[in-house]
Amino acid sequence: MSKTQNLLIEIGTEELPPKSLKKLATAFKEEVCKSLNEQELKFSDCLWYATPRRLSILIHDLETTQEDKEQQRRGPAVSAAFDEDGKATRATEGFAKSCGIEVDQLERLETDKGSWLAFNAKVKGKETTELIAEIIESALGRLPIAKRMRWGDSDVEFVRPIKWVLILFGNVPIDCEIMGVSSGKESYGHRFHHPDSITIKDPASYLETLKQEANVLADYDVRRNLIETQVKEIAKSNNGQAVIDSDLLDEVTSLVEWPVSFSGEFNSDFLKLPKEVLISSMQDHQKYFPVIDKQGNLLPYFISVANIESKDPALIKSGNERVIQPRLSDAAFFWERDLKHGLANHIDSLKKVVYQKQLGSLHDKSERLQKTVTSLANSLSVDANTAKRAAELSLCDLLTDMVSEFPALQGTMGRYYAEADGEDATVAIALEEYYQPRFAGDKLPATPLGQLLALSEKIDSLVGIFSIGKAPTGDKDPFGLRRSAIGLLRIIIECELDIDLKELISLAASNYPKELDANKCIDNVYQFLLERLRRYYLDEGVSPDSFESVLAINTSKPLDFHHRLTAVTEFRKLAEAESLAAANKRISNILKKSDISDIKKVNDKLLSEDSELTLAKSLSEYQIRLAPMMKNRDYKSALTELAGLRETVDSFFDNVMVNCDDEAIKINRLALLSNLSALFLLTADISKLQS
Amino acid sequence: MSQDNKQKEVSGSQMSFQQLIFELQQYWSGHGCTIAQPYDMEMGAGTFHPATFLRSIGPEPWRAAYVQPCRRPTDGRYGENPNRLQHYYQFQVLLKPSPDNIQQLYLDSLKAIGVDTETHDIRFVEDNWESPTLGAWGLGWEVWLDGMEISQFTYFQQVGGLDCKPVTGEMTYGLERIAMCLQNCSNIFDLVWTQNGEHTVTYGDIYHQNEVEMSRYNFELADTDSLFSWFDTCEQESNKLIEAGLPIPAYEMTMKASHTFNLLDARSAISVTERQRYILRVRTLSRAIAQAFFESREKLGFPLLKQ
Repeated sequence: MSKTQNLLIEIGTEELPPKSLKKLATAFKEEVCKSLNEQELKFSDCLWYATPRRLSILIHDLETTQEDKEQQRRGPAVSAAFDEDGKATRATEGFAKSCGIEVDQLERLETDKGSWLAFNAKVKGKETTELIAEIIESALGRLPIAKRMRWGDSDVEFVRPIKWVLILFGNVPIDCEIMGVSSGKESYGHRFHHPDSITIKDPASYLETLKQEANVLADYDVRRNLIETQVKEIAKSNNGQAVIDSDLLDEVTSLVEWPVSFSGEFNSDFLKLPKEVLISSMQDHQKYFPVIDKQGNLLPYFISVANIESKDPALIKSGNERVIQPRLSDAAFFWERDLKHGLANHIDSLKKVVYQKQLGSLHDKSERLQKTVTSLANSLSVDANTAKRAAELSLCDLLTDMVSEFPALQGTMGRYYAEADGEDATVAIALEEYYQPRFAGDKLPATPLGQLLALSEKIDSLVGIFSIGKAPTGDKDPFGLRRSAIGLLRIIIECELDIDLKELISLAASNYPKELDANKCIDNVYQFLLERLRRYYLDEGVSPDSFESVLAINTSKPLDFHHRLTAVTEFRKLAEAESLAAANKRISNILKKSDISDIKKVNDKLLSEDSELTLAKSLSEYQIRLAPMMKNRDYKSALTELAGLRETVDSFFDNVMVNCDDEAIKINRLALLSNLSALFLLTADISKLQS
Repeated sequence: MSQDNKQKEVSGSQMSFQQLIFELQQYWSGHGCTIAQPYDMEMGAGTFHPATFLRSIGPEPWRAAYVQPCRRPTDGRYGENPNRLQHYYQFQVLLKPSPDNIQQLYLDSLKAIGVDTETHDIRFVEDNWESPTLGAWGLGWEVWLDGMEISQFTYFQQVGGLDCKPVTGEMTYGLERIAMCLQNCSNIFDLVWTQNGEHTVTYGDIYHQNEVEMSRYNFELADTDSLFSWFDTCEQESNKLIEAGLPIPAYEMTMKASHTFNLLDARSAISVTERQRYILRVRTLSRAIAQAFFESREKLGFPLLKQ
C-alpha cells in the first residue's frame, strides 16, 4: 500500500442557487471521484458538504502518487524485423529510436501467433498534487448548471462568482489556479459572524473548525436535521405541529450557514382564507413553515429560519411579520373579488385567452372537453350532464385573480369557487382532480368524474399539440406532453378504466376542426403513448423483455396490457418459465423457417410417437381449460396453468423429430407446435423472454 | 452599553426618505460613482435609464449611481393599498466591470444607511432577472432584509441581445421598502420624507393625491385609440432614427413606446396573444439600438476606455 493523505477541497462562492445546491454538491463529488478513478488514484471514501457559499469535498486516504506502471509497446514482427542479412530494417530502427534505445536492447514477445519485438517501458506515476488542479477544474466544468454566468472582466463561466479556493492535502495547502482563482491557505467563515479568513489545520478538522470558530455548519445533512428539529420544537411550543415540505426544507437548508429558527404571527382573521392560499403565501414566497393544530387546521403562526444569531431577534421577527401581513391582505382581497365575480361568469372570457395560436382559445378547448367527456361519460358510469358542466368550468379558475397571483393553486381554487357558487359537489371535486397527477408519483383523481375530466384534458392536449407538429423532441417538451402521457396512462391503469387508446385518440381528434386534420397524427400519438408506457414500466422495475412479450400482442387497452404484463412477471417467477420460454423461442424459429403461417388443425391419425400423442392430447385439454380464463382476462391463471406443460413439451423436443422426411407428418407436427404456441400467445409472446 | 445601542436604533429608525437618498449618494460617490440624475422620461424601472441600458453595452468602464422614478401603471391602487404604488423610486448603482468585492460594497452601503448586519437577517436569494423588452438578462439575487425584498442584484450577461463584456454589476434599491424597514412603518404613505423640527412632510403628503389621480387616468381615462397610434408613431420614429445612426433619440422613442404599451396594458386594451407581439416589437427596437450604440461608440474609439 502506497502513502495516503486526506484531501479537502473547498470552493468558496457568492450565494449559490438554493434549489440546485444539493445537486451541484453531489455532482461535484461524483465528478471528482470519477476523475480520481480514471487517474488510478485510490482512496477509501469521499464525502460532500455544501452551504450557500461553498461546495466542499473531503476524500479520505487518497494516494499521494500514482503507481508506477509497466507499459508494453509492440514493434514489428520478428520475421519482418530483419532483412536477409539479419540487419534491422528501417522500420525496426525507427521503432527502437522511438523507444529511446538500441535495436539490440529490444525484447522479444512470444505469442501463439508468432514473436514480436517489444519494449517494456516503466512509466513513473505522477504526484497527486500535480494532477489535482486539472481534476477539480474539469469537474467544475461538468457540473449540471442550467445557466452559467460571467463576472467582472473575466471569461470564466460558473454558476456564481468564485471567491476563494482551498485545497489541503494532509496539512499542506496545494497552490494552483482554479477557474482564474488562485488557491489559498484559508477558508472563510459566516458572512456576518466571522467575515475574516480562518485557517483549517488539516482536512479532518474542517467541519469542526468551521462550526466552533466560524459559525458555519458545512455538513448539509447535519444542518438539515438541525433545522427540522428546531422547527418542530418551536411548533410544539406554540401547541402546534409544523408542516414540513421536504423540498422546502432542502431549500431553506441551502439558504443558511448558521440556522436560527423563530416563529412569527399573523392576524387570525386571515384563517378564513383557503388553507392552500395561506400555505402557498408562506412556503413559496417567504420560505416559511406553516403550523397546524391536532385537527390539521392552520394556526396563525409561521416558522422561519434566519441565518444569524441576532443581537436583537425581536427585530427579525417583527420584520418578517411586516412582510407576510400585506401578502395575506392581497390574497384576502383577491379571494373576495373572485367570490363576488363567480366562477361561471368567467366562461365567456375564456374566448379572449389563447390556448395555442393554431388550437384556438381556452373556450374552444373547454368546448372540445365537453364533447369528449359527454362521449365517454357512460363508460365511466358518470352522468353526462354533470360531466359536461365540469368540463365547461374546468378552465375558469385560470382567470381568477387568485390563480394569476398563485398559479400553483389552479384547480384547487376551481374547487373552492365552485363550492361557493353551489355547483354540484362532484363537479367541485373534479375541478381540482382535473390537474392530477401534478408530478411524478402524485396522487390520481379519486372520483370517476375527476378521472374522466383529467384524462380527457390530457388526450386533448396530446392530439392537439401533435397535430400542429410540436411533439416533444430530445429534451424539448414545452407543453409537458410526456407528463400528460404518463398521467393519462397511470389514470387508466391504476384507476382500472377499460379504455381503448386508439378509440380515445380518434375521439379526441374528431373534436378538433377538420382544417387541422388531427387524424393524421393518430398513429404518432399512439406510438408516443406506447413509448411512455414502456418508460412507465421500466421505471417500475419491469424488465424490458417482459414488456416486449406483451407489446407483441398488440393490445391497445392499457389496463389489458397491464394484466398481461403482471401475468408474465408472475410467470417468470415459476421454475418452468425458463424452459418454456426457450421452447417457445424454438417453436417460433421453427415456424418462421417453415411455410406454415396460420394455425392448421392437427390430424390425429398422423400422430405416432408417444410424446407427440401426449402433447396433442394435452393441447386439446388446455384449450378447453383456458377458455373461461381468457373470457375473464385471467392471464395469470392461464400462464400458471400452462407452466404445467413443461415436461410434455420437453419430452416432445427430446423424442420427436419435427423436420422428418415424411412431408405430411412434418406438416402435422408443425401444426401441433403452432397450436402450442397459440396457447401462450393468448396472453403474451413469451418467446421474447431472455433467460 | 445596552442603553447606547437603544439610542442608536432609535436614531436609525428616524432616517427620513430624503436622508436615505443622501446617504446612498454619498456612499457610492465615495466609491467612484458618477452621481447621475433621474432621466426626464417615464420608464418602468431604473434599468431603462441610458446610464444603465446604454452604458452596459461595449467595453467602456462605467460607475454610476442615481435615483430614478419608476412608473408601473398596472400597480396603481388609487392610494388605497399600503404597499403598492404606480409611481415609486429606485436607487440604481452600476459598477462596470463588476469588482470582486461588489457584494461587500453593497453590504457596506446598508451599514451606511443604518442597517446593522449583526442584528438583521440579510440574505442573497437566487433571482434571475430578465427584461424581454430590453432583450436583456442576468443572474443574481434579490436581497432580503428580515424576509423583505429590498434590492435586486444582477450580473448583466446580455443587454439588447449583445453579450456584456465586461459584465456590469447592477444593484437596485427599493427605496420605499428600505425606508419602511428603517422607519418601522407599515404604510407607505406614512413614511417620513423629511422632518424639520416639529414640521414633518410624509410620503403621502407629496404623493397620495398623485396616486389617486394617476390611477384614475391609467385605469379609466387614458384614451386607448390615441395610445395605440402613439405607440405606432414612436416605433416608426425609432426605426427612422436608428437608420439615421442616432441611437440616443431612437432609444428615447423606444422608451416612449414601452411606457405607452404599459398604459395600454393597464387599460386591459391588449389581449394575451397581442401582448407578446407588442413586447417583441419593443425588443426588436432595443436590439437594433444596442447594436447602433455599440457601433457609434466604436466609431468614437470607445473614449472612456482611454482614461
